[in-house]
Amino acid sequence: MDAKFVNPFIDAFMTVMPQIGFQDITRKKVSVKDKSAQSLGVTVLVGFTKQIRGNVAYNMSEETAKYIASTMMMGMPVDEFNDMAQSAISELSNMLTANAATNLATLGYDVDISTPSLSVGHNFVVKISSEQYLAIDMDLSGHRIEINISLQ
Amino acid sequence: MEKIRVLVVDDSKVSRIMMASVLSRTTFQICDYAKNSMEAVEKYRSLNPDVVTMDMNLPDGDGIECSRKILEINPNAKIVMISAMKDASLMMRGRNVGINSFLQKPINANELIDTLQMVCQSTENSIDVLRESYVKPFIKVLQKNLFSLAGLHSKVDLELDKDDFLDVNGIAVIIGLTGVPMGRAILHMDTQTMNRYSKIMLGMGEEEDLSEEEASDSVEESANIIVGRSVSMINDICKDKEMRITPPGTICGHRIRIVNPKLTSFNITASTRLGDFKMNIGFAEGE
Repeated sequence: MDAKFVNPFIDAFMTVMPQIGFQDITRKKVSVKDKSAQSLGVTVLVGFTKQIRGNVAYNMSEETAKYIASTMMMGMPVDEFNDMAQSAISELSNMLTANAATNLATLGYDVDISTPSLSVGHNFVVKISSEQYLAIDMDLSGHRIEINISLQ
Repeated sequence: MEKIRVLVVDDSKVSRIMMASVLSRTTFQICDYAKNSMEAVEKYRSLNPDVVTMDMNLPDGDGIECSRKILEINPNAKIVMISAMKDASLMMRGRNVGINSFLQKPINANELIDTLQMVCQSTENSIDVLRESYVKPFIKVLQKNLFSLAGLHSKVDLELDKDDFLDVNGIAVIIGLTGVPMGRAILHMDTQTMNRYSKIMLGMGEEEDLSEEEASDSVEESANIIVGRSVSMINDICKDKEMRITPPGTICGHRIRIVNPKLTSFNITASTRLGDFKMNIGFAEGE
């Protein structure tokens, strides 16, 4: 998988997150993986197609999802991962992927993105590629978000 | 032609005049104005307009709270929120109370008219269009391919999904749909059905050992074929619009919930001798 496709996703994260209230964002390791990803509890899948086809999965724990939803809603307490919090995380995944799509367009690759599918559960695996995929670990004030990207 | 009646809620006189000028030569007619939240609720109750345009900032409260009161009067009220800032948390709060659409100031005339038209198309009508033109091809292709891929006869049931979520025990293959309308299709089934089906697909005997990977790959490949052919069929019929599919993403496990915020979705169940093959086809509602 070509590394030049990674930066559009990292840049999107670095651009969008501060706009919705996050200050402390660090990129941790980037690794190549080749098995299904174990969901951390909440996984949002967004597919894309046109000049490049693939999937991106935003993977995080339910605690992290609640923390993000709360920050997005100006610090409103989020005690359980309810409809409103789920809708916030879906919206965020949509914003991140749309922003990445804009970044890809500046590299000359036109892509359309699908609606996000948010899955919640305690023990499930997510497969986004039959071959290798990239996993980028992002740290958000001590909370971990894994961005998994596969391209065909 | 009967005019569609609009109640404009905005405290700025300039905005009201601009709105009147934009809508003057359209099928929309401003039935009244309200300059604050209280007036808006009263006028909604007395005039029962077809659609409301709601400014975010009102002198006696915000537009979301005012919308919530209107939606208490009529849960099917159609409201277009207009604000100076279009930010995610605002849209989320709005959606949560049931607002259909959002626009940002300064308003573009065409965008306003398009949005009002979209919001005013009756929900019933758009569900029928989705069912007939977009979901039925999936049923045909699913039945045909269950037979051609595994020799399975099926009895199919279709219903509008009334829940906002889908519970999966086993496998779910998610394939995104882009273009118009956009959405996603999910093929899902329990583990037992997946294993029985995969053995037939792979030409294996009932007693032979099947790996989890082989099983999920068979279902994934089938989903790809079924969704791909369904979309080709839709594109053949609706030549002016092109839908595309994204590569599949597959989820395996137990008690997984896939939530569908703001999707209009349909459940298809194909009952076969191996078990039920289920599809959930969801389309994004316009913004």
